[in-house]
Amino acid sequence: MLSVENLHIRFRTGDGMVHAVNDVSFEVGAGRQIAVVGESGSGKSQIALAIMGLLAKNAEVEGRIMWNGQDLLAASNREMNRIRAREIGIVFQDPMSSLNPYMTIERQLTEIVEYHEGLSRRDARARALQVMDAVRISDAKARLRAYPHEFSGGMRQRIVIAMALMCQPKLILADEPTTALDVTVQAQIMQLLADVQRDLGTSVVLITHDLGVVAGFCEEVVVLYGGRIMEEAETIALFDQPTHPYTRGLLSAVPNIKDPSDALTAIPGSPPNQHRFPQACPFAPRCVDAVDICRDTLPALRQGRACLRPVEELT
Amino acid sequence: MLNYTLRRLLMVVPTLLILVIFAFYLMRLAPGGPFTSERPLPPAVMANVLERYGMDEPLHVQLWTYVSNIVCCFDFGPSFSQKDRSVNDVIAQGFPVTLTYGFWSAVFVLLLGVPLGIIAALRHNGFWDYTMTGLAIFSQIFPNFVLAPLLVLLFTLSWGLLPGGGWNGGQWQYIVMPAIALGTSYMASVARLTRGSMLEVLGSPYIRTARAKGLPERTIILRHALKPALLPTLTYMGPVFVYMITGSVFVDVFFSTGGIGQDFINGAYSRDYAILLGLAILYAVLTFVLTLMVDLLYAWIDPKVRAGLS
Amino acid sequence: MILSAARRRLQSRAFAEEQAPEMVASRSFWADAGQRFMRNRMAIFSVGMLGLLILFSIFGNLFSRWSFEEIDWNVLGRIKEDGGPSLENGHWFGVDELGRDLYARVVQGTRTSLLVGFIAGPVSVLLGATLGALSGYYGGRFDRTVLGAYTIWLAIPYIIFFVVWQAFFGRSMSQMIMVIILVNWTAGLLIVRGQVMMLKNREFVDAARMLGMSDTKIIFRHLAPNVLWVVVIYTSLVIPEVIMMESLVSFLGVGIQEPNTSIGALLSQGASTMTFGTLWQLGFPAAIFVIAQVSLFYIGDGLRDALDPKER
Repeated sequence: MLSVENLHIRFRTGDGMVHAVNDVSFEVGAGRQIAVVGESGSGKSQIALAIMGLLAKNAEVEGRIMWNGQDLLAASNREMNRIRAREIGIVFQDPMSSLNPYMTIERQLTEIVEYHEGLSRRDARARALQVMDAVRISDAKARLRAYPHEFSGGMRQRIVIAMALMCQPKLILADEPTTALDVTVQAQIMQLLADVQRDLGTSVVLITHDLGVVAGFCEEVVVLYGGRIMEEAETIALFDQPTHPYTRGLLSAVPNIKDPSDALTAIPGSPPNQHRFPQACPFAPRCVDAVDICRDTLPALRQGRACLRPVEELT
Repeated sequence: MLNYTLRRLLMVVPTLLILVIFAFYLMRLAPGGPFTSERPLPPAVMANVLERYGMDEPLHVQLWTYVSNIVCCFDFGPSFSQKDRSVNDVIAQGFPVTLTYGFWSAVFVLLLGVPLGIIAALRHNGFWDYTMTGLAIFSQIFPNFVLAPLLVLLFTLSWGLLPGGGWNGGQWQYIVMPAIALGTSYMASVARLTRGSMLEVLGSPYIRTARAKGLPERTIILRHALKPALLPTLTYMGPVFVYMITGSVFVDVFFSTGGIGQDFINGAYSRDYAILLGLAILYAVLTFVLTLMVDLLYAWIDPKVRAGLS
Repeated sequence: MILSAARRRLQSRAFAEEQAPEMVASRSFWADAGQRFMRNRMAIFSVGMLGLLILFSIFGNLFSRWSFEEIDWNVLGRIKEDGGPSLENGHWFGVDELGRDLYARVVQGTRTSLLVGFIAGPVSVLLGATLGALSGYYGGRFDRTVLGAYTIWLAIPYIIFFVVWQAFFGRSMSQMIMVIILVNWTAGLLIVRGQVMMLKNREFVDAARMLGMSDTKIIFRHLAPNVLWVVVIYTSLVIPEVIMMESLVSFLGVGIQEPNTSIGALLSQGASTMTFGTLWQLGFPAAIFVIAQVSLFYIGDGLRDALDPKER
């Protein structure tokens, strides 16, 4: 349904080019949930924005993003507007700032279906109430008239999700939907997304830095580092047997409830400088398994892993 | 909201009182006065004059009389320099004039400044954006006291299109140049301010959300961006309108409109404290009232502030 | 008022909050800013122009054949015909309506305006900034009093102060500078107050307090360096405004005492005689005024670009 092919995203900045996303490809089938995982700065949010056609003006994009046979990167803004919200919905990271503080919740919800489906104010309102129910906001009728600042963070994120659901899109991009929230609320929101996914059969691309969130939710995981795919696998396989040193590092940074004695380890070093297009494995400087060849050869993605060293030789 | 308004209005009273006392003593303690001239008056005549204006009494008594006259009868006393006219007369005659072209000037500022700022923001780094930078520099080079002579030079002396001064009952030809001279620099500020806040709003996450909804650009700007982008301009316009009225001193003088600015300057030359004080109070009241109006308007627009007030 | 858009931005609460985490009082901050400023060609060119103007106001008299108050009786009755700019009679810029040498008067007026701007501007900002810092740091009753005074002060038309001050102390240049400082003490008060209110809750201030430092020491040793850059930007906005204020009051006739003059007074005289066709009397002062204002605008712009973290 959605296939991202050899996507490159660069930004022209005052200090030169920044290569945010390099040669990233993945596919999302109908009804599938896939996770894009990476540290902050790994370019994962930019992928979501590229799919929506919302990249900043100083961005340069290469590659293709195919959506049911149409290349979104080549689509005009007008064509994109037919796809946004109607076919692909997005949930942004920070519910505090992604709702318009000067408009009622009602107006922010109804305008979507009024525009896309030509519904009357009344029908749009009915739809809004339905969707508010679906995201489990109680007393929806009264709350429609409220402004965003009258809601808690978790509630606002529910409203943002409701917005994404208004037209019942086929795909939802969830860009770090829980990062800005309290831990207890995080679980609720993830549960909500899972329920919505199950009930509506929507595909979901979950973008996150938190492998812990992925485990119960997604079928497939794409691990990004320095704007490149490091590993790509079914979730179970990935958790069971990570084949890339970076993924292994990430996993050992997630607490294991079953075995508390398992020590948490951090990955040493800091994310790479993205001013130059990588000529070698971007993870090599921080990799415990790096050998000389890793520092001057760019590994290609083969059988779901981009690593120059055979799995058996990794520590 | 009503509560808040009342509280604010109540605050104005002591503030005004302090202002009056301060200005009163400031002006009265200054050496010289309205009746000092090159050829000193004979002592007997002087005493007579002083008595007529109640100036023979101690200062605090005069202050008391002054304030109580204002409070009870809205009477700002007689003018010292203009014979047989009261300060009320002077204000009643001059204020409407200043207010009239001040109003048109404000219209000019908003009608040109706001759209210009919005267009400049939408065409960031485009033609209109550079036009605006040009305008900002222009208004710094040509403040009203340079712009006004220039306008007269062009429109009156060279082309003979508009009268170079006077009021003539407020015909439009007499309003154009004062309004432009008064408003241009504020127009540039408004345009710049609007451009800045529009750019900031357009870069905000909630506009990105609106874009992600697939709404057409027009709706995004008119429905989502305009209101928040205009809030700073709104806050700015309150004080600006007062500045425009007070800052019109120069325009009144240069174009001889007969507005209160002329009375103000004449009052300053002739040390006519009654007029100076009366006008100072008028300006202050205007300032407070307009600031309050802007704050209320702001609260009406911004739901968060509204919630904070009630 | 001209630069009020920029000024309002500096004064806004949001601005203070947004900048607070970015602030750096380190030496490298100023070195970086210096480099950025040096890269700004327009700003450097403007510094050059302003430098020339300053040199002109100091040494311009060396090239003048007339003093600024001496009347040239030869041209007095025939100013329109003979009073224009001329190399023969030594009136490089022509004469004014009273037959005085305009070149010498422009030199003198430029000196007055620049002195007023460069003394009154920074001093008022420093005064306002200090009060703002104290007000923001101590808060409470002191803060309320200062803000109250601020409100009242702004509600009084400032021309009254000029009139009253002159009644007391006369109309010399030093008195002019003093009264402008007095009128403008509110400059810079709000921004610095806002910045300090932001900063005083930061860890480094807590740390200093725990080390037993006195309030004065904290304010001047720890807070001042962190608001300095705002003060610098703000001063660059206030200087042209002060020059303009002086020009305006001179224009209105409550400025400096004749035969001394200022750019504003010269503009005023030039404007009042332009109907007689002696346009040079308006043109030369206007040119100086334009050069000064444009240079100051671009210098201010350059400083803003160099110092304001958001413009980078």
